Amino acid sequence: MPALVSKSLRDYRRSLIRWTIGIGAFFTLYLSFYPNISENQEIYGPQALAKFPGAMRDLMGGMEDFTSGIGYLSSVVYQLFGPMLFIACAMILGNRAIAQPEESGTLELTVTLPVDRRRLVFERFVALVLGLLAVTVATFLLAWALSAVADMGVAFGRILAAHTGVFLLALLCGTLSLAVGAATGHKGLAMAVVGVVAVGGYIVETMGKNVDWISWLRWVSPFHYYLDGEPLYQGFPVGNYLVLAGATVVLLLTAILAFDRRDVGV
Amino acid sequence: MTAVVETEGLTKFYGKRRGLEDLDLEIRPGEVFGYLGPNGAGKTTTIRLLLDVIRPTRGRMSVLGAEPRDPAVRSRIGYLPGELALEGNEKARDYLAFLGGVRGGVSKDRISALAERLDADLSVPMGKLSKGNKQKVGLIQAFMHEPEFLILDEPTGGLDPLVQQEFLAMVREVRAGGRTVLMSSHVLAEVEDVADRVGIVRGGRLVAVEDVTALREKAVRRMELHFETPVPREAFEDLPGVRDLRVEGASVRCTIDGRPDALIKAAARFTVVHLVSAEPDLEEIFLTYYSENEEQEGRHARAGV
Ligand SMILES: Nc1ncnc2c1ncn2[C@@H]1O[C@H](COP(=O)(O)OP(=O)(O)O)[C@@H](O)[C@H]1O
Ligand SMILES: [Mg+2]
Repeated sequence: MPALVSKSLRDYRRSLIRWTIGIGAFFTLYLSFYPNISENQEIYGPQALAKFPGAMRDLMGGMEDFTSGIGYLSSVVYQLFGPMLFIACAMILGNRAIAQPEESGTLELTVTLPVDRRRLVFERFVALVLGLLAVTVATFLLAWALSAVADMGVAFGRILAAHTGVFLLALLCGTLSLAVGAATGHKGLAMAVVGVVAVGGYIVETMGKNVDWISWLRWVSPFHYYLDGEPLYQGFPVGNYLVLAGATVVLLLTAILAFDRRDVGV
Repeated sequence: MTAVVETEGLTKFYGKRRGLEDLDLEIRPGEVFGYLGPNGAGKTTTIRLLLDVIRPTRGRMSVLGAEPRDPAVRSRIGYLPGELALEGNEKARDYLAFLGGVRGGVSKDRISALAERLDADLSVPMGKLSKGNKQKVGLIQAFMHEPEFLILDEPTGGLDPLVQQEFLAMVREVRAGGRTVLMSSHVLAEVEDVADRVGIVRGGRLVAVEDVTALREKAVRRMELHFETPVPREAFEDLPGVRDLRVEGASVRCTIDGRPDALIKAAARFTVVHLVSAEPDLEEIFLTYYSENEEQEGRHARAGV
């Protein structure tokens, strides 16, 4: 493994463990509610949920069905909170590529190593991918095991499809923070941009389904390419996922070119 | 032999702010070059340009015969940043091993030997190191791969006097091995013992480059001679290089510009019982460069109005 990749992963290790534990706790907690909910159809069933205002139901991803295993998983775990946790994790890892070490001053020695700048950005990106992948794999296995224990009746392949989507969505956001950091060196700006894209993108995608004047914006929302394919119900939305991966590559190239031509630490 | 550093019209503006302007500098193989100037003079700007941390606004430079952009050349350089940041839970030893690995491999023994020499503890997490200890780790990483060219930005900051001596010895060894050193400082005293030449920067411009020995020769030094019997004033008047002459009975006091040869020969005609010569104060010469430059700048400013 290239030295910068392994060094970055070593630096990220504690953070990765904490995120795995945190996201794992989220899955465990929410899936432990499921038996209770599935047994109380009158409180959580479709008729009960229909009482909520339409806009709010849209924002929560429809809330059509809480009581089936797949409905619970898709609307509670894989709709909003799960992806947002992964996005936050990816954003922080993305910032540790360039912006954070630049602001703290440790990047100065790194850029004077005999490593091409473009390669530096690329290796930090690889570390982001591998770190995020480790968190994804660990939490995927946990989610799958918990859903089997809770008898939710969701196929392995469908959970894999949803988890893959979360990974690609988070990787895109992490690469966005890496790219903003690589282009500007400012961590705060990178977090603001990712925050706007993630939160704004989610609102646009969910509200846009029923609000005409923002529906065209769904096409630029990263969440669209994850949520619209309903991976838990339909399996892998290959085209959509390729869009997420393609956008990530474009951001990576932007980051590499931008970092290669600017002053560091000014 | 080709120069280790060669710059031509090297200029860096931070937006509208001048960092460095029109630097023409040559650093020769095997020399220790002291780069002097007050805070904000442009020393760090120059060094960051040479290492491709920042890019010039205009001008040309080569380092070890290559473009600083070429990453390969950086494995032949050792660099101590002016503001060294070391942080986190990682132990200094592991960080040094990482840096050594990327630069092509440095043995553990070499790192340990340097740590022992500078009395640095490498088993402490870097975030917990004191300023002085961070500086030691910085020196170790700059020296450990035995680079052809060492660039040290204000290396002695935070070091105690004993470690400073050890550091100067390390610099001398580097020079003895035919390798080259560029070290910056805002005080001359820190570099005058090891430097062969000094360059003086101020306000983003190089105002002088001097041999340290020539500088010493130019230095004004005070001399005091005591004789067995009173001496006539005429014997010492109008000697070349002698100024501020005061003859009082059996003692002669004066200041000397350059060589004291004429004074010594004149004194040799009498019986000398005691002779005092103060070390030339290079700091004083250093300051005259500044004040001359200031006057010039003042004139430019007035002319500009
Ligand atoms: N990142 C920066 N942005 C704006 N001005 C800068 C920056 N870095 C240095 N300068 C300016 O450039 C000049 C030279 O600074 P520097 O090279 O750091 O001086 P030195 O290292 O000799 O103390 C100073 O006037 C300083 O204010
Ligand atoms: Mg400086």
